[in-house]
Amino acid sequence: MRIKERKRDGIAILELSGKLMGGPDAEAFDETLKTLIHEGVRNFIISLEKVNWVNSTGLGILIQGYSTVKKNGGDLKLLKVSSRIENIFMVSKLFTVFESYDNEDEAVRSFS
Amino acid sequence: MSPRITLRVPSQLVYLGVPDAVLMELASDLACEQKLIDELSTSVIEACTNAMEHGNGLHEEKQVEVHFDVGNDEIRVTVYDEGPGFDFAGWQPPTDIMRERGRGILIMREFSDTLVFGRAEDGRFRVRLTKNLHPQA
Repeated sequence: MRIKERKRDGIAILELSGKLMGGPDAEAFDETLKTLIHEGVRNFIISLEKVNWVNSTGLGILIQGYSTVKKNGGDLKLLKVSSRIENIFMVSKLFTVFESYDNEDEAVRSFS
Repeated sequence: MSPRITLRVPSQLVYLGVPDAVLMELASDLACEQKLIDELSTSVIEACTNAMEHGNGLHEEKQVEVHFDVGNDEIRVTVYDEGPGFDFAGWQPPTDIMRERGRGILIMREFSDTLVFGRAEDGRFRVRLTKNLHPQA
């Protein structure tokens, strides 16, 4: 999995690409979040547009990231979740936890 | 059914994309909804994740073997590992939504039409998943 970072209006937008699964992906994602939190970022948008698939361990990575961000007083939302991945979120009931947007402008506005 | 396709991958998570790619290719000419293939492939990835992690302990020299049996109406995928197995009879779905692990079997169960755990004749642990390609409305 690759992570591309950028910022917009003080919000960190992390564009994930490839496959979101366990192992080194967890460490890389966690490290990225913690570095940005240390720099003062509180709110995050995670784009899954270029993620091919997620396994259950990958879901765990997002949940862990969500908990980390919340503990630091911020929020983490999802952007451009494919129908394949959306289906997994539905079955896992995780859409009751994560807010998800199809449009970046709307996702950014949701933090104000 | 088309001839069986057999795949063997080392028990490293980096190879999880291989069974997904194989299934997508085998299903590419089938007249069925892509959603059904996506669901089955998600289940297969979970089965292979469990086989690699819990069955084979992520030991690279241990193989996960996957059999693909593709028909016009049904696809059957069987995943084998060298591990001690799993007692599905005692499984309960997770109740804590925020739990970071433990969703694999739930996903397999929800996205497959049948899910059977057992032992192959050679002693390997086996998970068999099937997906009906033309479900009744």
